[in-house]
Amino acid sequence: MSSLTDRYVAATMRAVPAQRRLELADELRGSIADMIDDRTASGQDPASAEREVLTELGNPEQLAARYSDRTLQLIGPRYFLMWWRLLRLLLTWIPAIVGVLAGLTKALVDGEPGAAIGTAVVAAMQTAVQIAFWVTLVFAVLERTRTPLGLPEWTVDELPEETRDRQISHSDSIASVVFLLATIGLLVGQHFQRWTTDDGTRLPALDPALWSFWLPALIVVLLATVGLEIAKYRSGRWTWPLVAVNAVLNVAFAAPVLWLLATDRLLNPELVERFAWLRDGGTVEFARVAGAVVVLVAIWDVIDSAVKATRAAR
Amino acid sequence: MVSEEVLRTHLQELRRGTVVVASLVALRRPDYGYALLQRLAAHGFAVDANTLYPLLRRLEDQGLLTSEWNTEESRPRKFYRTSDDGQDVLNRLLDDMTAVRSSVTELIEGAER
Repeated sequence: MSSLTDRYVAATMRAVPAQRRLELADELRGSIADMIDDRTASGQDPASAEREVLTELGNPEQLAARYSDRTLQLIGPRYFLMWWRLLRLLLTWIPAIVGVLAGLTKALVDGEPGAAIGTAVVAAMQTAVQIAFWVTLVFAVLERTRTPLGLPEWTVDELPEETRDRQISHSDSIASVVFLLATIGLLVGQHFQRWTTDDGTRLPALDPALWSFWLPALIVVLLATVGLEIAKYRSGRWTWPLVAVNAVLNVAFAAPVLWLLATDRLLNPELVERFAWLRDGGTVEFARVAGAVVVLVAIWDVIDSAVKATRAAR
Repeated sequence: MVSEEVLRTHLQELRRGTVVVASLVALRRPDYGYALLQRLAAHGFAVDANTLYPLLRRLEDQGLLTSEWNTEESRPRKFYRTSDDGQDVLNRLLDDMTAVRSSVTELIEGAER
């Protein structure tokens, strides 16, 4: 059986560049022998002296890294901030966009609206993992090869104008925009991707007659709300004009929906005919619940924006 | 009272560069790894073996040390010696240590006034 020293030297040499191995091995072996001799000369038994010396030298891979001047970190201080910034930049938009596209494709092209949300979430998560992996891999390789990127040095001109903390966070704005676009997608999608009934015929959930005016109008309101989100993000906080626009947009969306619910014009009459519980007064129940949700969401949204504007004005 | 941990990190930071200086000074008389380690320890430079051995290789790669195998003794040993370049660098480092020392002294005296 080979001695502990042989095993230690072999383990260290495995992790240093081949062209230096022979000489380094001889020197390391000699140094270990010197250290052991010193201990046995003062009366220690050779076996425990060897153990003690090798323990003192520590993990052979770490020693090898010191010999070959190799980094023991995946991404060091030189690249860390750049890596982190790029990762955040890519992760904020790309997975969300891919998720929405995948969800819409599933709903509209493949004709499976029920599976759309699941598909969107899975696609977004897979994209996020892929982005994180490849970006990190590239930076880890740069770290190891010590490639200079030749990027310009930081200057004071890069300082953000804003000195107060943002009230509107990046991720909140993105989540809102994605939600609004998904809602528009759903409104359009329900027409083409229809509800499949028991007898195999497919029907839109909303009354197709609404396309002559009301549905396009609601989509315009939603698009205007996307514009509001962008304006809000750029201002960094809620202001009173933004609160006013928000209130108007909320009313512009909630009022037509409530009116359509109240006059029983929202759902596709053909669809109502197919389902017994809708036919037998179910539409009234549906109108009550949907109406309550629409009103509560609108009120909550307006109050929330007003509270935040008050806080920001302080 | 500061924690031992904080104190230890600061002392470590302060000592880091001095091992190079001490090695370059000591190796004006050629020596091998472990003997140098003991000499440094005897003069109050407690260096870990796993720091010193790779450091010697690095200084050799940078041309500040030269080396030679001595096969006359019981086991072959690699002897390091401070090169002319090493001596130049050492002089600069020693000047800098003196400068730091006198700056600190000036600061202390200035503060007392």
